[in-house]
Amino acid sequence: MGLYQVTIAITVGIFMMLAMGLNIITGYTGQVSLGHAAFFGIGAYTSALLSVKAGVPFWLALPMAAVVTGAVGAILGAISTRLHDDSLAITTIGINFVVVSVFQYSQFFGGALGVGGIEYPSVFGRALTKPEYLVVVIVCVSLGIWFDRRLVRSWLGLALRSVGQNPEAAESLGIPSARFKIAAFAIGTAYAGIAGSLYAHFMTFISARDFGFPTSISIISMAVFGGLGTLRGAILGSLALGLAPEIFRPLVNYRNLMYGALLLLMMRFQPSGLIGDGSLIWEWLRSVAARRRKTQCAPGGEA
Amino acid sequence: MLWQQLANGATMGMIYALITLGLTMVYGVLRILHISHAGIFALGGYLAVLASRVSTNLAVVTAFAMLGCGVVGVLMQRWLYRPLLGESKVVSLIASIGMFTLMEDLFRLVAGPYVLPLPVRAPFGLDRFETSHMTGNQLVVLIASVVLLIAAWFIIHRTRLGLAWRATEQDFETASAFGVNIDRAVGLNFLLGSAVAGAAGALVGFYYNSVYPTMGSVPAYKAMAIAVLGGLGNVWGTVVASLILGLVETFLVISPAGLILPRDSIAFVALILVLLFRPHGLFGRR
Amino acid sequence: MRNPFRWLLIAFTGLVVCSLAVSVMGADPIKIGLHAPLTGFAAADGLSVRQSVELAVKQINDAGGINGRPIQLVIYDDRADAKEAVAVAAKLIEQDKVAAVVGGSYSAPMRAVAPIYQQAKLPMVAGFAVHPDITRAGDFVFRVGMLGPIEGAAAGEVAGKLLKAKTACQMTMDNDFGRALAEGFRARAAQLGIKIVWETLYPLGEMDFTPYLARLRQLNPDVVFTSGYYNEAAQFCKQAKEMGLKSQILGEEGFDSPKFIEIAGKAAEGVIIVTNLNRDDARPAARAFIDGYRKLYKMEPDMVGASNYDAFLVIADALRRAKSTDPKAIRDAIASTRNFDGATGIISGFNALGECTKPIQAQVVKDGQFRYYGEVSDPAIITPPDK
Repeated sequence: MGLYQVTIAITVGIFMMLAMGLNIITGYTGQVSLGHAAFFGIGAYTSALLSVKAGVPFWLALPMAAVVTGAVGAILGAISTRLHDDSLAITTIGINFVVVSVFQYSQFFGGALGVGGIEYPSVFGRALTKPEYLVVVIVCVSLGIWFDRRLVRSWLGLALRSVGQNPEAAESLGIPSARFKIAAFAIGTAYAGIAGSLYAHFMTFISARDFGFPTSISIISMAVFGGLGTLRGAILGSLALGLAPEIFRPLVNYRNLMYGALLLLMMRFQPSGLIGDGSLIWEWLRSVAARRRKTQCAPGGEA
Repeated sequence: MLWQQLANGATMGMIYALITLGLTMVYGVLRILHISHAGIFALGGYLAVLASRVSTNLAVVTAFAMLGCGVVGVLMQRWLYRPLLGESKVVSLIASIGMFTLMEDLFRLVAGPYVLPLPVRAPFGLDRFETSHMTGNQLVVLIASVVLLIAAWFIIHRTRLGLAWRATEQDFETASAFGVNIDRAVGLNFLLGSAVAGAAGALVGFYYNSVYPTMGSVPAYKAMAIAVLGGLGNVWGTVVASLILGLVETFLVISPAGLILPRDSIAFVALILVLLFRPHGLFGRR
Repeated sequence: MRNPFRWLLIAFTGLVVCSLAVSVMGADPIKIGLHAPLTGFAAADGLSVRQSVELAVKQINDAGGINGRPIQLVIYDDRADAKEAVAVAAKLIEQDKVAAVVGGSYSAPMRAVAPIYQQAKLPMVAGFAVHPDITRAGDFVFRVGMLGPIEGAAAGEVAGKLLKAKTACQMTMDNDFGRALAEGFRARAAQLGIKIVWETLYPLGEMDFTPYLARLRQLNPDVVFTSGYYNEAAQFCKQAKEMGLKSQILGEEGFDSPKFIEIAGKAAEGVIIVTNLNRDDARPAARAFIDGYRKLYKMEPDMVGASNYDAFLVIADALRRAKSTDPKAIRDAIASTRNFDGATGIISGFNALGECTKPIQAQVVKDGQFRYYGEVSDPAIITPPDK
């Protein structure tokens, strides 16, 4: 695998973490967050500053970034519980802007010059090669998937989904939705924190603009394009839209146009996303699986 | 200097009000976050540039922009939003974002990435009116926006169409039972909201003598913040919130606070603060 | 005997022509990469970059290429985004296997890719990206453009020596470049005894300067040193005129675009800027760019284009001297550049860091065109840091 492919794979992997985390907040728990990139940034800057100013090694900076980001996410989640739907969505945009402004204008965060010289992770004194870094990213994504699956099957996951489907019904069943909204934010933003740390140590240079509103739009587009509310949607969506800029590269001038058209057409004709519940592809896969089960049962009538 | 600053703030406020008006009208009836509204705003600027090849009268090019944008707005509603009414809100939001991205890039591909000037003059030579407290251009924008806002108010509160909108806003089914043709009302809502956005695009293009593909980027999210601040769906709330924001921004940017907080973030900081105490905006109901 | 001879002559001529053509076209092209923000918010600059570098490539290839080989330009769009630039760098290094790269994008993406090129030992020359750490990535990274503090100091020099100003205000765009300019201006102004009565920052993309102008009008300094790109510059000057600001407006290279004059209209008259492109420059290198650009694209060139044109020509010149496409040889040739005649001025050389020294131009807008106003060549001011 060449340098180019590895670079793209690492970038897609980071976006997968982001989309999975957002899926927990917006997909499962129904809290529309249009400012997820802010948490991506918080994770990145935390990890970067720990590394550059305090000499903390990557292996420690990463979990610390996840914790810090999750904590900030929980606070913001607490704010969100007071807001309904659309006000929430717009407030999250506001949070994105305010966080980016802090990074941009405060000298502590490097200001307009960003933070550079971020340490490339090393094992036993030897710096990781790019393919080895990709392995790290894959491990993180795998852990993210594993955690997500466990979450969905747990009581917490059930509570989150009920809050997402119907908050009033959940309340009447005695589920304190506020608490679970905060939990969703904490978990989802922790994912973003990990993604941020991976990003910072890969790029070795970060600046405020990397985490602006357009990035938030990219992330939610990936989750929705793939199929909101499903893990497979987040993964496939980030794969598809993460690779799209590179695949469309030959189109040079028309890349943005293609991207916008892709989003637009998908939403217009397949609102459940590429592979979400109710989408053509998923329904087809399910019917194929159902047919196979039937043909397996049919002879002799035994299950 | 105070009077000049007040004129500065008021002009900005009126510009914001014009841009946000259409957005809040659409939200009021359909509950959609119509981000591509900013694309229609930019389209207004481009249509004005097109019309300026034929006429150098600001009123004429603005009317042309309003017409074109109204039509595009209705088409957008018919083709994109109407079929998505049953889906989750996020879907129409992402669709709107896709549409906006598409529009911005189309502008770049068709008209080029460079800024285009809008060489028109205001009627009655108003833009050459000079005082030490206000520039001629500011006067033009203020007068035009007041005229448009009064017209919008009239339609919403004094016509049957406006009544239909307000009824639909309250309750789709009841309104329908009372004989309101919802489909037509919604279509006209988009038509008017988009026409006002088109006018805003033309006026802003004139005021800054600049029309460019990404001119809708900042209004895309700022208008949403203002709409929420004023209470989603509330037209008067929008106007008041816009004016307040225009004035606050103007006075804040030259004060020491302006060094910490960039202008575009002020709207959002104000929003977050207000929402903490009044979750439905300054004038929101329910 | 006539017929065979005629055919023999034709065949012989044909063969000579073919072999000449083959030696240039069929000759292995030299691949050079280019980063440019072709789409996204920076598309306007991206277009200038692409057109200028393509002009340079065309001029070289039309003249026979470099040491007989044509140049093949490999352009990728990085949307002025750091992570896309990283992907582009990987592609240029590994898949296109270019010999050198012109860094024609903004500060953040260039800052992100500089270490990658250094690690891959591939020479990169940045055109107009201003982040100071770009050249600190290593000895394979060079920069043709001006650093902020130096340009700011040059502006201070113009204010003090040419405009004889005693009081000044600074309107600084709030990014790394703007702040660096302000720092340079402040320092030089202090040395020349100019009093800065007020200075403030404004956010990029700002269109409404009326609040600031009201204050400036009240303070009425001799000079207002304003930083900004052509959009902000045009708005500032236009609104300044509408509000009746009396002070002399002094700008910098961000103003340097025909669009500034187009949008600001009459308000642009008399505005003075420090930049690195002199429209009245009689040197052939400058005329080749300015006149060539006007002829090929039917539009006026700007500073962004000029800087990247020169960045490319520096590489081309190095290729010619190195007589090889080995990246290390190219790098050494770039480092040993002496008195290179570029569109933006005579580059006396690159220092240990990879920064270049060249005089700074002052231009004034007269009759809707940029014209020569003055030049700053005091080595104390224009020499860049070498660490």
